[in-house]
Amino acid sequence: MESTTSATRPDKKLVSRRGFSRFLLGFSFISTVAGAIIPILGYLLPPPSANAGNGGRVLVGTTKDIPIGQGKVVPVAGKPVMVINSNDGVHAFSAICTHLGCICMYDPVRKMIICPCHDGQFNPVTGVVVSGPPPKPLASIAVSVDGDNIFIGEA
Amino acid sequence: MDRTNPEKPSGLFNGIVDWMDERFQVRTLVQSALHVKIPRKAKTFYLGGITMFLFMVQVVTGSLLALYYQPTPDRAYDSVMFIMSNVNFGWLIRSIHSWGANLMIVSVVLHLLRVFFQGVYKRPRELTWVAGMFLLIVTLVFGFTGYLLPWDQRAYWATTVGTEIAGAMPFVGEFALNFLRSGPDITASTLSRFFGMHTLWLPMTLAAMLLVHLVLFHQQGIADPTKPVSRAKPDASATPEPEGKLLPFFPHYLLSEAIAWYVILGILIILASLWPVGLEAKANALQTPAHVKPEWYFLFLYQLLKFVPRVAGVLAPIVAIPLLVLLPFFDRNPELKPRKRLFAVIIGLLTVAGIIGLTIWGQFS
Repeated sequence: MESTTSATRPDKKLVSRRGFSRFLLGFSFISTVAGAIIPILGYLLPPPSANAGNGGRVLVGTTKDIPIGQGKVVPVAGKPVMVINSNDGVHAFSAICTHLGCICMYDPVRKMIICPCHDGQFNPVTGVVVSGPPPKPLASIAVSVDGDNIFIGEA
Repeated sequence: MDRTNPEKPSGLFNGIVDWMDERFQVRTLVQSALHVKIPRKAKTFYLGGITMFLFMVQVVTGSLLALYYQPTPDRAYDSVMFIMSNVNFGWLIRSIHSWGANLMIVSVVLHLLRVFFQGVYKRPRELTWVAGMFLLIVTLVFGFTGYLLPWDQRAYWATTVGTEIAGAMPFVGEFALNFLRSGPDITASTLSRFFGMHTLWLPMTLAAMLLVHLVLFHQQGIADPTKPVSRAKPDASATPEPEGKLLPFFPHYLLSEAIAWYVILGILIILASLWPVGLEAKANALQTPAHVKPEWYFLFLYQLLKFVPRVAGVLAPIVAIPLLVLLPFFDRNPELKPRKRLFAVIIGLLTVAGIIGLTIWGQFS
């Protein structure tokens, strides 16, 4: 091994022709695979739904549809919302049970929001858990009454 | 693959291969699949392998498209639009699928022409040719069924005309039209049917036929287009080729094939990026667009139908396809060199010239 390179730069390790070719081959292979995988992974990620709503107020009904003492589940931007007209005024919550995602309903006899799946019960005014397995209260949603009309969402 | 090779010390990979080999004799399997010799004079232009590669690209991109595509008349167009404009790289995946389909038709036809003009469909490779012809037909049906899925004006009206052609067949026309459309008109049922054909039936059929084609090909090896196989001596192994006239399939041939695939992948990405596939207005059953034309690979038939009686234009492929499928059984001239099989070569050239001529005419008419 008396080549000029090793004589002038003895500390440099020589890269063999085979080793260099292998490096190039490996580099090309990995970049090709990455070039194919990245668009595929990007494609698999679900894009934001076009159904997400655009803010603003949504008319969901009137106080005639939901008289005092009654509650109703209405769709808002594709999501179920529980609207309850009680003596304390109109309240709205996400109707999705915080336990395992079933849709809750209002029981006017027990005056309770109940989940039919595992008998979770929520307070119809505050949304907090009264009994059953749900770990968290129902998320409160802004609601307003304008005349007879009930609106969901911030103005 | 060689255990005694000092270049490859025992590593994780070799350990796994050893483990597999002990149980399934994988080394023998790979040995018999790869370590074969091919004639040095073989000229395949890698077209069969390229077609297979494009099929794999179609399987990958098609499976991805199926994740967002919704096969109903209400949703099909919007879901394709959603793929194109909302899904990450959706435009790229769909464009590659569309260009891949076109390139696959090109390569499968060139593969057929290569085999025809080299005369290597002849004994003993008759069945490989028959399996290959079925692969060509399945590929064309793939193109036809995939065309409807975007549910735009082009899709709808090309399918209307295409299924009408099937409906013009004597005796079985009405049945064929009803069968293809799943009723007398193009409706939601037609779309379901084409979607199911395109994504389930045809891929399974093509994969099975491809397996047959490859096994037959592997059993006989690549043909030497300079050496006719004599009927008198069916046993080719009786006179083995001298080593100098042979080339190892692995790595020599496979490396060239891999390079060809790489080039095709590059071409595909360039085509899809520079000319991404579009979408016309949503299908409207009450309004035919001004110039409705089929995909370019059916243009010759479209043009032919303009000036021959409808029955003749419909019967031409029905007669031509079986003739082509059975070609090795009635072309019994054992010669391979073009000047020794002038009749076949001239008929072939005239057919190719006719199809190209009609295609160009159809394009500019």
